[in-house]
Amino acid sequence: MADERENYSPNLIRMWRAFRTTKEMCRDRGYEMLEEDYQISLSAFAAKCGRQDGEVDRSQMNFSCLPSAEMAKKYTAPPTAKNPDPQPDIGKIWVEFNGDENVGLKQLRDYMAHLVDGQYYSGVMVTMKPMTGMALRLLRGAAGIAEGPKGGVEVFVEQDLLVNITKHELVPTHVLLSKEEKDHLLKRYRLKETQLPRIQVTDPVAKYYGLRRGQVVKIIRHSETAGRYASYRWAI
Amino acid sequence: MPATQKQRDVALHHADIIEQRKRVEKDVLDAIIDLMDFPEARNADPQRPSPADALRFREAVAIFQPSDYDALIEERNIAAKCGYALCPRPKRKAPSAARKHFIDTSKGVEIVDRRVLEVWCCDDCARRALFVKVQLSEEPAWLRQGGFAGDIELMVENAGEHPRTLPLRLKGSSSAPPKPADVEEHDAALAWQARDDALADLAVERGEKPGRLSKANRELVQDKIRERVATKAPEPPSLPTHSSHMAIEGHVPRTSRNEDDDEDDDGQDWDKHLPG
Repeated sequence: MADERENYSPNLIRMWRAFRTTKEMCRDRGYEMLEEDYQISLSAFAAKCGRQDGEVDRSQMNFSCLPSAEMAKKYTAPPTAKNPDPQPDIGKIWVEFNGDENVGLKQLRDYMAHLVDGQYYSGVMVTMKPMTGMALRLLRGAAGIAEGPKGGVEVFVEQDLLVNITKHELVPTHVLLSKEEKDHLLKRYRLKETQLPRIQVTDPVAKYYGLRRGQVVKIIRHSETAGRYASYRWAI
Repeated sequence: MPATQKQRDVALHHADIIEQRKRVEKDVLDAIIDLMDFPEARNADPQRPSPADALRFREAVAIFQPSDYDALIEERNIAAKCGYALCPRPKRKAPSAARKHFIDTSKGVEIVDRRVLEVWCCDDCARRALFVKVQLSEEPAWLRQGGFAGDIELMVENAGEHPRTLPLRLKGSSSAPPKPADVEEHDAALAWQARDDALADLAVERGEKPGRLSKANRELVQDKIRERVATKAPEPPSLPTHSSHMAIEGHVPRTSRNEDDDEDDDGQDWDKHLPG
């Protein structure tokens, strides 16, 4: 392995790791993904996205994926009398690796326009450096406005994706609950959702799973006495 | 605990304040998006901008804080434009791609970031842009009292062409109310109307626009005047009959009482009880 790495530039290895984490993130969220896709080897990655000069061609790294049937089911609200056939609140996702030195309002708006043109439901943008403050402000307000895609845009910095944080031993398992499971939980414990403990949507793990406000995650920890211990958190 | 109407009003008032803040932030964002591709004419001259451009720029920038203005400059630079919003030229290119550059200044050679070098197209634009920046108010626009950040001046060569437009102060519509039969009622109605007019004028003076959130919420702070009605004739205060002036809240301390009681106090009482 060490020998293999010496043949490639550090930048290419960085991008390979970020790419793998992004793929794993999409798989963990429930998108359809082949195993050879998220376990791509360095040499295969270099053949696919590397350029002659040993640097990375980021436009080759972009990909899109579709939600699996299981995920679509999880994101579908239970049918009601008013809405007997609810549509899933999830769809095709477009992941783009941006190669610009600085990402501002202009790039973000171009990206949003691209998502809307391509009929994508949501998007993930991976940038080299953190975005400008105004772009973040646009992003915060973008979920509700007509300009962006329905599912919103998430932005990650390459640096944050070098390591898959959910594989760390101190990070417990997070499982997203569907609307139906959430209702069941609240009924079982006779709670209102405001009585649950909270998790911020800006929490690194919440960002990894793309939690939305109002969803509930089940967190399963190891426990010395009970074997495992489940707690629930309301994303806010 | 059931929420009272008062609590509900307070909650609504604070929700309105947050709402207004969000609206102002959105206005700032829209203004920056608008000014990013400014000016539209390719051959616009930053030294003598057209009156329409200058007016639009001044109005958009009036709600900015200096940090918002910095954000605008940053966004324009990312789009490879000169940081001054009235200049259509691309930003200056540094002589090389090195991260730091040596620059000859009047104080000698300085080492500066490449990024700093590439903000403006020329030093003239930098001066004009910063001339605007120093006029911006540090106070966020949603906290400003009216007329505070009213007019932004531009550094232009053709100052005569730019009309100094003062905001027109419109009096409230003077639609005559139907004349009531009773004169007293008529006077009362007039008084109420005068009060409303005065409040509206005050609101305009505070810089509030009709339909926007009022800073003085009349529902929350109400001054009710309660007349004091005398039920009996006033009487002057008098000393209570049998309590000494040494009393502390009705209690007379022992030391002061002893002084009054022990009249047979003499210096020799220590040997009174001695035999013989």
